[in-house]
Amino acid sequence: MPDTNTPYFTGQWWKRKDVKRHAVLWVILTALIGYIGTEVQTRAMGAPASEAMENVINLIRIFTWAAAPVAAFVAAIAIGALMGNRHYGDNPPPEAEHAITNSPRANAVWIVISALLCLFALIAGLIALQKDNEALLDNQAIRVNVVGQQWAWNYDYPGSNGVRSEVLHLPVDQPVVFHVTSKDVKHSFWVVQMGIKIDANPGEFTETAVTPNKIGTFDIRCAELCGLLHAYMQNKVIVESKEDFDKWMASQPNTGETTWTEEGAAA
Amino acid sequence: MTTMMEHPAPTSGHTPRVGIIRHLNVFTAFGLGAITAFVVWRLGLSFLPADSESAPLFTREDKITLLSMIGWFVGFMAGIGALVAPFRWVMGKDLSHDENMFLAGKDMGTKRYFRYTTDHKVVGIQYLIITMVIFGIGGILAMLIRANLGTPEGGWIHPQAYNSIVGTHGIIMIVGTIIMVTGPFGNYIMPIMIGARDMAFPRLNALSFWLIVAAAIPLIWGQFIGGISTGWSAYNPLAGQAPLGMNGYIMFICIFALSTMVAGANITTTVVRMRARGMTWNRTPIFIYGTVASVALALPAFPVFFLSQVMSGMDRALGTSFYDTARGGSGWLYENLFWIMGHPEVYVILIPAVAALMEMAPVFTRRPLFSFNVAVMGIAGICGLSVLVWAHHMYMSGWAPLLNAPFMLTTELISIPTGMLFLVLVGTLWRGRLWMTVPTMSIFALLWNFMIGGVTGIYLSDVPADAFLHGSMYVTAHFHYTLMGAGLTGAIAALVYWFPKMTGRMLDKKLSWVSFWLVQIGFNVAFIGMFFVGLQGQPRRVEAYAAIFNKGNLITTIGAATIMTGMLILLAAVIGSWRSGVKAPMNPWYAKSLEWTVPNPVPLENFETLPVVTEDVYGYGRKN
Repeated sequence: MPDTNTPYFTGQWWKRKDVKRHAVLWVILTALIGYIGTEVQTRAMGAPASEAMENVINLIRIFTWAAAPVAAFVAAIAIGALMGNRHYGDNPPPEAEHAITNSPRANAVWIVISALLCLFALIAGLIALQKDNEALLDNQAIRVNVVGQQWAWNYDYPGSNGVRSEVLHLPVDQPVVFHVTSKDVKHSFWVVQMGIKIDANPGEFTETAVTPNKIGTFDIRCAELCGLLHAYMQNKVIVESKEDFDKWMASQPNTGETTWTEEGAAA
Repeated sequence: MTTMMEHPAPTSGHTPRVGIIRHLNVFTAFGLGAITAFVVWRLGLSFLPADSESAPLFTREDKITLLSMIGWFVGFMAGIGALVAPFRWVMGKDLSHDENMFLAGKDMGTKRYFRYTTDHKVVGIQYLIITMVIFGIGGILAMLIRANLGTPEGGWIHPQAYNSIVGTHGIIMIVGTIIMVTGPFGNYIMPIMIGARDMAFPRLNALSFWLIVAAAIPLIWGQFIGGISTGWSAYNPLAGQAPLGMNGYIMFICIFALSTMVAGANITTTVVRMRARGMTWNRTPIFIYGTVASVALALPAFPVFFLSQVMSGMDRALGTSFYDTARGGSGWLYENLFWIMGHPEVYVILIPAVAALMEMAPVFTRRPLFSFNVAVMGIAGICGLSVLVWAHHMYMSGWAPLLNAPFMLTTELISIPTGMLFLVLVGTLWRGRLWMTVPTMSIFALLWNFMIGGVTGIYLSDVPADAFLHGSMYVTAHFHYTLMGAGLTGAIAALVYWFPKMTGRMLDKKLSWVSFWLVQIGFNVAFIGMFFVGLQGQPRRVEAYAAIFNKGNLITTIGAATIMTGMLILLAAVIGSWRSGVKAPMNPWYAKSLEWTVPNPVPLENFETLPVVTEDVYGYGRKN
């Protein structure tokens, strides 16, 4: 046992062996956590079909790398503690020689760093949010009314012939704004691979926008529990070239029903 | 015992004079409740007029169901004896000394657990048992959900029943986790820990427990009249459309909210007013702060929940239109009310569990708690911010897109006080000697699980990322990581830690270790799988899914089965040790807080002479 008057340590703290060991562990863990965290998550999310989805994937990547040092720090200390002095048995180990009750410097550093990370996350989020918001105001966008009902989605295209489809067709690289509503209960319109979602509320119109940038067939699912067959309330979005889209549009029969009014706005 | 000094000491052969209270217990309560419910139901059938043409469907049945459930509630509370004391008081009398002693459960043996007993230790044990029952039922429901998701087609459970199982699992697990720390340990341990003889309002304490029992029946009842097919959030207008079982949910929430408010007022008052002499705020254990923060946070939250369900019930039964868009209401109103409760509520669950582990960390590392003040500020910061973040559950609802950015700010700010709690824990671990016990390893498990839960929470707090993740299994995995991975881990550690004081016996070491590892491994397997399918795009609360989600769901199901095995082993350990475990010494962990200074079993009024606190509860090791 050292003398009571011996300070906890002498010399520069960063030269201590255990601090160095933890620092090495911290660097390794940061790399591991950051890499595995981003790789596993972005692979699970699959290939994006719009810029909005690319943004989502980027955000998850950024946040994972921003969180990795913090997680690695906690993990390094936890592993260090577990690898250190372990004591088994029914009686406690002797009490610590150095009863550190506080470290104003550690507190300050920790709080400042977490505040900075928080600020960083906020700014990254606001930039991405701004992009999403601007997409709503795009003059070039075509507009589609999305009507949810138990348990199907319908898509109304603007124009006089009242095109109504149960499968969403979209031209590639063409901005589109969805006006979403519901006939009965709350649904949530989720175009999975395009990374957009908005609730369909009865009696209200909500908006979301996207520019599909990949030709193919993608999934639309309802993301809000809406009763008996919620699990089956899903269909497809077919993204095709402008010509194919126009051809499809022309081939659609006039249903005589539309949620579009003269003014072009949804009603 | 000083309180008895004011009264003449009972001579030998003195027969206590106890009025009607002697005859009331849980059986009379169930009996009277059932009879009242039946009478109200019959009267309702006979006298309630048929619906007019204009009234929405089901209104009459809803009225009868709700009235019968209110009848049950009143009958039950009268039958358990909750009304005796208030009634006497109104009559200008009060309970006699003998009656008060009877209510406290003096010399009553096991019978006191089945009565309206005011002793905080009895209430604590009652809470512990009901928490275990709730987790048992909720766990069975979880296994049913996983079984149905064993194959992509789902299928062997009818969708309506499946939705109801999902909703019931959700709400009872929420209730179970709300009471899992502040119920058993907040009632049994907290008063001893602060050096008090009982709670500030012992009768309110008994009331808060029996209200939960009273609340449980409407929920079970609801299962037989159509179930709760709306998920635990019971969004309108879906809830308006749901079958009669929805009334069971509404009554359950209303009664449970009452219980929470009563318990919150009681625990807060106890801690503020009844701490031992010398227990300044700086010497008050961190677990006490956690408990008070939790119940104090519930105080503003649960009245809102209560109100939201009253309005939901009125929409169903009385034809009002709070949430009916067609008639001037708004579904968004419900969402707001629900989440104004719903977000503080997750911290109601989390804070006491983390605080319990912070309480144990110094004991098992034999060092002082690192930065006590930071821990207190962390808890206070979470409490303050948590009431300002509710609309992050509504980013994608379309309610107020302009508010998304400010709510993103408040939500991300909460990571600062949460980080403080991490700092306190890792600071305490730094260079400590670890006494390897289940609570010690639980600290590590909490750091791991809560880190994953916290970081995924940052993705979800971000509006554009949430546009992809909201409503998916990712969210489900995230909140299981926080409420179960962090919350339940803390609660189980608290059980292991305080079991010797509550039962007088040690919890079986080997079994609790096996259970710990099974639960933690199973837990991580289950919810990593769930994160995966969420990222692939599987929505929540579905009973069937596309083939690509097959693998992740299989992993989750295997993990869930492992958790179940671990929890069953824990149950076996608890039952076995309670009956015939090794007798516990007074202070098995050599801890310095007050609850370890009272003998086993803890005497009726805890302390013969009230303690005076003269030193730091975390004064392990030498100062330098």
